[in-house]
This record gives sequence, structure tokens and C-alpha cells, in this order.
Amino acid sequence: MSYIIYIIIQIFVMVLTAPLVNGIIKKAKAFSQKRTGPPVFQMYYDLYKLIQKGTVVSDVSSWIYKAAPYVVFSTALAAALLVPVSTLVTPTNSIPGDFILMVSVFALGRFFMMAAGLDTGSTFGGMGSSREAMISSLAEPSILVCLFTAGLIAGSTSLDGMMTFMQGTGTSPTHPVVVLLFLALLSIIMMETARIPVDDPSTHLELTMVHEAMLLEYSGRHLALMEYGAAIKQLVFMTLLVNLLIPHDQLIGFAGVGAVVVSLLIYLLKVILLAVLIALVEINTVKLRLFSIPNLAALSFILSFLAFLQYFLMGGGNV
Amino acid sequence: MGALQIDNFIHTSILIFAVGALVALALGKRDRLCNLVSNSICIAAGLLLMVASAMKLLSGSDLIQIELFQSSLPFLTLEMKIDNLSALFLMILSVLTICVSIYSMGYISHYYGKRHVGLFNFLYITFILSMIFVFTSSNAVFFYMAWEAMSLLSYFLVIFESERMENQRAGTLYIVMTHIATAFLLIGFMIIYSYTKSFDLFGSSDAIPDTAKNIIFILFLLGFSTKAGAIPVHIWLPYAHPAAPSNVSALMSGIMIKTAIYGLIRFVLGFLGVQHTWWGALLIGVGIVSAVLGVAYALMEHDIKRLLAYSSVENIGIILIGLGVSFTALAQGNEMIGALALIASILHAVNHTFFKGGLFLGAGSVHYATGTKDIEKLGGLIKVMPVTAVLVLCFSLAISAIVPFNGFISEWLTYQSIFAYIAPGQAGTNILFILAVAALGLAGALAAACFVKLFGISFLGLPRSEKISNVQEVPVTMNIGMGILAFLCLLMGVFPLFIIRLIDGVASDLIGNSILGQLQGGFLLTWYSMDLSGTVISPFEILIALGVLTLLALLAIRVFGGEYMERKYGTWDCGFEGINSRTQYTAAGFSKPIKIVFRILFRPSRKTEAIGGTYYYPDRIEYKVESESIFEKYVYLPAFSRIRTFSRRTKFLVQTGNIQNYLVYIFITILALMAYNRFV
Repeated sequence: MSYIIYIIIQIFVMVLTAPLVNGIIKKAKAFSQKRTGPPVFQMYYDLYKLIQKGTVVSDVSSWIYKAAPYVVFSTALAAALLVPVSTLVTPTNSIPGDFILMVSVFALGRFFMMAAGLDTGSTFGGMGSSREAMISSLAEPSILVCLFTAGLIAGSTSLDGMMTFMQGTGTSPTHPVVVLLFLALLSIIMMETARIPVDDPSTHLELTMVHEAMLLEYSGRHLALMEYGAAIKQLVFMTLLVNLLIPHDQLIGFAGVGAVVVSLLIYLLKVILLAVLIALVEINTVKLRLFSIPNLAALSFILSFLAFLQYFLMGGGNV
Repeated sequence: MGALQIDNFIHTSILIFAVGALVALALGKRDRLCNLVSNSICIAAGLLLMVASAMKLLSGSDLIQIELFQSSLPFLTLEMKIDNLSALFLMILSVLTICVSIYSMGYISHYYGKRHVGLFNFLYITFILSMIFVFTSSNAVFFYMAWEAMSLLSYFLVIFESERMENQRAGTLYIVMTHIATAFLLIGFMIIYSYTKSFDLFGSSDAIPDTAKNIIFILFLLGFSTKAGAIPVHIWLPYAHPAAPSNVSALMSGIMIKTAIYGLIRFVLGFLGVQHTWWGALLIGVGIVSAVLGVAYALMEHDIKRLLAYSSVENIGIILIGLGVSFTALAQGNEMIGALALIASILHAVNHTFFKGGLFLGAGSVHYATGTKDIEKLGGLIKVMPVTAVLVLCFSLAISAIVPFNGFISEWLTYQSIFAYIAPGQAGTNILFILAVAALGLAGALAAACFVKLFGISFLGLPRSEKISNVQEVPVTMNIGMGILAFLCLLMGVFPLFIIRLIDGVASDLIGNSILGQLQGGFLLTWYSMDLSGTVISPFEILIALGVLTLLALLAIRVFGGEYMERKYGTWDCGFEGINSRTQYTAAGFSKPIKIVFRILFRPSRKTEAIGGTYYYPDRIEYKVESESIFEKYVYLPAFSRIRTFSRRTKFLVQTGNIQNYLVYIFITILALMAYNRFV
């Protein structure tokens, strides 16, 4: 029973919050540019409108093109099941996966997205796939080393176990390991979710497009699913960061349904703050030249690696 | 259900294989009949062998001994001994043999009337037979004979289409490299013999002093990693595997290179026993280099089969990383992690047998239908070869370690064994291990990129020539052969515990430590949790979740969005004349960003040349991109040219052609040997 409640809460929170995060980032960016910007809930309206529209399908494409949006969306949500939004509702016999599985589930979605980019025979799609292949390959070592380090500290690769452990020891947010992991994860989020130093989500310029180029042929409900999937993926990575490195469930002194509600509210607050932080990073950096991205990836890897060294060569101990 | 029955089964299946080989020769001229009969015999023998080896693994019976040939000469008694390790490799060999033989029934039809089908099938069956002996030989002499037979038979198969110059060159490179490898092994065997006075593989190595063990390990590592195709001794592999007919490539890449993994486990882990931490560390180092460079080179290839060959190098790297972790842990006396890593490593070998075998068969299908192996000339095959396309997609997902296929399970286990090993206070190995994690991650992501390219460029988009759009789907037997392998990949990915159970038998045989206690769950249950603070993964549940979530998405869209309306229209062409196959992204273009990022590995160079016409309006432009293979250019070529100069110089000094000189050589040799025996 607790298992079903967990799944329902995960899916509802992720599905309902994901578009909001995009809205907040857009709003914050608009604010810095002295614009009003679209309403915070604009993405919900967009998705609703897209779902109702018909779709244009390229006559070159095959079933891969039509299957890809569903695969991307369902893999993003399936990965969301592995990253608890609140550890207070996780089932007693743990969730059926760990971060290695999460990475692999995302890889399934990405595989289909890149294949779909090639499926229409368009140059843009191929270009997007090719760049995505490069960026994701470069980000992968960093993601694994970063999560491995956190996992080793906690003694488990399960995200639920890791989050619970981090609460138990009362993680100090100023501990060098936590700071290094935070910075590494932040740069991973920038790379994985098509944010500004790597990719600009708001342009359709062929020189800079990566994620948008792969979706260029999509329309209607297929496009909605792709966009929704990307938003959920972004929220999954953000949840990973806030719940792992800035745990809060240990601060709630009481149990029961009330505690879950409070925990979820704090979670939302943390996600909103992180969204503003991401917007700040986007505002204050410029889009990198495509072949400068390896430098960012290397930086991110070095941060993760330093966190590992910091913990394991300086003798472990409590974080 | 005793051991007796199993050894009869194995004996019979070997006899059937032998009969099949002779029948193939006898029916040589009747192509069609010969092919069908010899492949049917192969399937029957393979089934028998599969059942026998599965019975051995499941029953947990003792060592099975079969004497093939009794001789009064020392060491020439050919005896097979089958323990769990041998049985496991026999099982995957037989499964692959069955699938490849079904496939060959259709595939070989393009040889009808053109080539000697009987000879081909004779070589094919004896090649399989030689591998059976490699996996089961009980002493080093028999092992060496089988190993040599395997090398020679595969050489003949590599140069089977010998009228092409490149195949001959590939064959020569292969035979030279494989004999260098064999030489290292022979030296190793002799050192062992000089201490133990025995060639028995199941004997004790206590008589060998520590220094000698180190030397033997290095010799075995050199010998076996050459056969496995680990970097930097891989150079034969990307030439030899593509040169062979595709069904043979599937066997070579699928199982022949695993004989080296078998050898490493049998001789080093089983016979010598792991002595030092640095043995494992060295293996991990070789594994890291092979995994990352292998896939990086694979990404740059546009010949399907050569791409797959380089990807084999990558997977051998992953297997070696697992094996290295196992060795390191065992050297430090940690049997639990040693067993876990060994299982991960063997499981990856099993998985690779199935998906790489399948991919080579897929490459064969593409070649069969279109007549080309060049990705740049393909495109849009999913519309004309839908079944092949789906099967190749399955294998591509499996090899990229993506759920719910089997590649993920073995990589997960490898990660878990590394995870279990790392602990504060072992600085050097910690850093090596975390680098192995990074390498595995990088290799996995690059493999995904590589197989998106393989699948996307050749099966999706627009056909790149008129001929490609008119091809036919391949004969159904070819798809059945691949289909079985694809099904196994999915099955092992969703219900991994079944195969892990069998491999656990191997590990407990060798190490004496079963980790099955830590794998909770029943026979076919999907739950299993390692003893790591309750980390659970369940590929089955993820598969269900994906299905249910897709249905939910469909339902939600139906409710909020109404009827699905679709309009077919051309791909957006920016308002120009319409897209065609020449405006599509190419394979070279797809891998270009990665090529530029890792330019230190590839040292790419490009040349643009305008030909004819005026300066501003040339008739055509030639654009050439080349990348160097650093190992060939900076290691092998200089070495070869040194050796050649040396032999040219010494040719007339030593090999004079004068009989008196040779008599002097013989005389001196005899004197030296007499002196050695007298004084030493």
C-alpha cells in the first residue's frame, strides 16, 4: 500500500510541478531583463493547447518518430519514480532502483530522441542528435563519479538510501564535499537540461540549437510530450540535488500526514529557490561555443573527482 | 541423472559435429543441400551440447571427464574435463552456434554457385569443434593444440573470400598476431612445466615460486589479451573480423575472443591463483584503455562490421575491468567482492556473446540485402527491412547498457562491485577504481552515440541511393536466428537472476564463495538486492512502469486532447527545393563533434580540393577527412620496419645459403646443448 501511495505522490508532484519550474526560470530571467515575461503558468497553457492540435508527420519518418515522444515521456516519469521527492513516503522495502538505473532509463529516452532526430532526414535533426551525443557523452563520467561519491558516503547506491543517510548525519551544507558535489551537480543540470552555457532553450538559431534541433519536426501532441518529458527530466535532476545535498526531512519534528504535507511544501520551496539560482546562472553566463563545452564538462568532472578525493583521501568521516 | 549421462551427451554432440563436417565435405558440390544438411546437423549437435552443459550447471555435479584419445606418449592423452566454468562457456557457445546456424541457412545462399559451400561449412563446423576443445581441454598440450586449430581454422575463414587483397592482408596480420600471442602462452606453459613437471590445468601451482608466477602472469596477460583484442594489442581485430563472412564474424566476435577471457580465468584465477594486487590493477588499466579507446575508434568507423569490431574491443575492456576488480579483491582476500566482480565480468562476456553475435548477423543481413557495408551508402532501411531493423535496434539498446536489456545488468553488477570495493584508507586503488567508474560511464555514453549512429544513419532517414530503396527483406531463417538472440537479450535483461544463478555456480567453483545468499528472490523473481544497504533494482518493474506510464500518457492525451489528427507532409526544408538524401546528416558528420573533442586520439586531417572549372565555379569539389590510427602509425609500423631492416641486414650474414655454414650451426648447437647438460 505504501508503495502505491509513493508512486502516486511521485507522479503527481513531478507532473504538476515540472512545467512550473520552467515558468519560474523564464520569469526570473525576464525580471533581470526588465521585461514582464510570460506568466508563470504559461507552459501549462502551451501544453494544453499543443495536445489539442493535430500533428504534422514527416513522410520520410518511420514508427521510431512516433514512438519517441512516448518513450521520452515515460522514461522521464519512470526515472522520476526512482528519485523520492520526500523520503517520508518511501515504501518500507525500498524503491526498485538506484542512480545507475536512473542514468540508464534516461539513456533509453535519449537514444530514442537522438534516433528520432535522424528519422526525418532533416539536417537540423541530425545536427541536434550529433551534438546531443557529444554533450551527453561528456557529462556522463561526471554524473557517475558525483553520484558514486555521494553513494559511497552513504554506503548505498539507492537514492532513497542516500537521501535518508544524508538526513541522519545532519549534513552540514558548508562541508567541502557537499559544496563540491553541489557545484558538480549544478553544472550537470546545466548540461543535461539544455540550459544556457551549453544550449539556449529560447532560440531556434541553427548555430546554437541542440535540444530544440532534435524536436524541430515535432508538432501537436508529440511536441507536447517531448517538452513535458524534458521538463520532468529537469525536475528529476533538481530533486536529486536539493534532496540529496540539502536534506530537510530530519527537521520535521512530527509524523503523519501533516509531516508529509510540510515536507512537500519545503521541497517545493527548495525547488523554486534552485530554479531562481539556475536562472541566475543563465543570466550571468554566456552561451559557450560548442567546442568549449568539453571544458565545462571537464570542470564538472574535476569537481566531482575532487569531492571524491576530499572524502576518501582525507580519511572519510562524517559529512 | 548422473554425470554419466552428461558426458555421453557431450561425447555424442562432438561426434555429430564431426559427422556434420564430413557430410559438408561429401556434399560439397550440391550447394543448397549441403548447406541445409550441414547446418541442420550443427543445430542438432548444438542443442544437445546446450542441454548437456545446462544439465551440468544446474545439477552441480562433479567434474566431468571424457577421454578422447589414449596414448602411451607422455602428454598426448587427450582428455576433456568439464567444470562449471567450462560448462558455462560451452553453453553460450552452443546457443550462439544454434542461432548462427539457423541464420546461415539463409545467409550462405549468396554463395550458391559461386563458392565451395561444402568447404566453407567444413571449416565452419571444425572451427566450432576446435572451440569446444579449447573450453574443455584438461592439460596445456591439448589446450595448445585446440587453440592452434582454432586460430588456423579462423584464419582460413577470414581469408575465405581471398580474391580481395584486403582480406588477405587482414588474414596475414591476424595469423601473425595470433601466433605472437600463442608464443607467449607457450613460454608460460613451459615455465609452469619446469616447476610442476605437469601440464595438468587442474593441478596445483604451489611448486612455482612467486617471481615465476609474476612472469607467467605477464606472459598469459600478453598472450590472452592479444587474442581478446585488448588495446594496445588489438590491431588485428578491426581488420580480421570484418573480412570474414558475417556468420563467422558473429562467432569470432561473439565467442572466439571470449576464449581468451576463459583462458585468463582458467589459468590465472583457477591455476595460478591471484597473488598480488597489481595483477588486478594492471587488468583494470588495460580494461579502461580498451573500453574508452575501443568505443572512440568505433564511433569513427563507417564500415558497419569494422565499427562492430572496434566495439568488441570496448566490451572486452569492460569485461577486463570486471575481472581486474575481481583479481584485486581476491588478492586482498575479499572473496565476496571477488565473486561479485567475477560474476559481473562473466555475465558481460555472456551478454556480449549474444548482442554482438546478433549485431554481426544484422550487419550480415544488411550486406546480404544491399551489397554494401558502408553506412554512408545506406539509409531508410527500416521501411524495406522492418524486422531486421527492430532486431538491430534491440541489440543496439542492449550493447549501450540500456534497460530493459541485458547489457545493463552486467554493467550494473560491475559498478556495484567497484562500489563495494572502494573504502577509505586504500588511496591508490580507490583512485584507479573511481577512474574505472568514469571510464565505464564515458564508454557507455559513447557506445550509445555510436549505436544511434549505426542505427540512425543506416536504417532511418532517406535512402542514400536508388538501389537501397528497392531492396527486399532477408530470408526468414536469417531473422529467426537473430530473433532468438534478441529475445535472449531481453529475457536476460528482465529476468537476470536465472543466468546469474548459473554464473554463481562458476564463481563458487573457482573462489569457493557463493554470493547467492545476498541475492534475494526466487528462481524467476525479479527482485534482487545485493548486500549493500538494501540497494534494489528491478528491471522488470521498470519495464512495467514504462508500459503503464505510456498507456497513462496515451489516455491522458485522449481525454484532454481528443481525436488524433495526423497530416503527412514533407520534412521542413527551409523553403528550398525539398530535401534529398544528399542534404541529410552523414555518419561522418554525426561523429564529427566527438572527433573534434577527442582530436588528440584521432589526429584528424582534412583536405578540400577543387577539380576542374574555374576558381569560383569548380566542376566538383573533393573533400577528404582522414584520421590516423595512432597505435599503427607510432607503435607497430616503426616496429615492423625495424624488424624488416634487421632481417634484411642479417639475411646475408646468417642465412648464407651455404650448406657448410648450416652444418657449423648444427654442430655448435649440439656442443652447446652437451655443455649445458654437463655443467648445469
